[in-house]
Amino acid sequence: MNCKKAGMLISASVDGELSPSEEQEFLLHLVECKECRIEFDDAKKTKMIIQEKIIQFKAPDALIVSIMQLSGFNTKEHEETLLYE
Amino acid sequence: MDKTDPTRQTKTRTKKESLSREERQKQLEFQNEAVAHLNALYNYALHLTMNPSDAEDLVQETYLKAYRFFNSFERGTNCKAWLFKILKNNYINRFRKNSKEPGKVDYDLIKDFYHTIKDTRSDTSESENDYFHSLLHEEVYQALHSLPEEFREVIQLCDIEGFTYEEIANMVESPIGTVRSRLYRGRKLLRAQLEGYANKYGFNNNDQ
Repeated sequence: MNCKKAGMLISASVDGELSPSEEQEFLLHLVECKECRIEFDDAKKTKMIIQEKIIQFKAPDALIVSIMQLSGFNTKEHEETLLYE
Repeated sequence: MDKTDPTRQTKTRTKKESLSREERQKQLEFQNEAVAHLNALYNYALHLTMNPSDAEDLVQETYLKAYRFFNSFERGTNCKAWLFKILKNNYINRFRKNSKEPGKVDYDLIKDFYHTIKDTRSDTSESENDYFHSLLHEEVYQALHSLPEEFREVIQLCDIEGFTYEEIANMVESPIGTVRSRLYRGRKLLRAQLEGYANKYGFNNNDQ
């Protein structure tokens, strides 16, 4: 495997999206290529930063209530909208 | 629906007392399958619109549509991915038309967004007066938003929402190979943006 091909597999490997044979080939390349190894580590760290630092917001209570009503038909309005629109 | 559909007649007749059995079952199934993803959808909508009330509208609209078309949801497939796709289409139809120039990053908007949203509930557990932490978040958020949308989108869907490449490919209507290369290129760009950040906050020191 050359660096160009390995480069295209870096993200997929970080995300666990390679087939076992692709993964094996890719890892073999990493063993012998320092540059790709660095790139691979960088991609992993980048993913980690995004996962750790981007805040995940929760839906406000009012929204949860209104969605529950929507699917539970607790209000006449929603019933009309959903059934006959 | 066909006017002569017998279920519809029944439904109309008994509307006041109760819904048809199928309708009840649909409700129940919808609640089990779809409502579970409410937080993820709201979070995604908020990151897209950067405005809490727009995000709520978007989520409302998404659930309304999802319920209406719930019969076309393929059982056994990923309901979260299905909902995200509906939300994304809604977003494009409603908000993107009158958005600002693509590729331009409005740092003030991001700053405002972070400051209005900082006090609301989040999944990240941190003390409320942890201003230092929110500054860190802001820096990463700006880096993410500096990416062209096609790259930012796949990174969000993959890293934040945890979708598989196949699901992402379906959502963005591109082949898996395209998703792969967008993630690769997007992460490279992001990496360059975050280089200083990673050095400053020790992400480059914790070698495994």
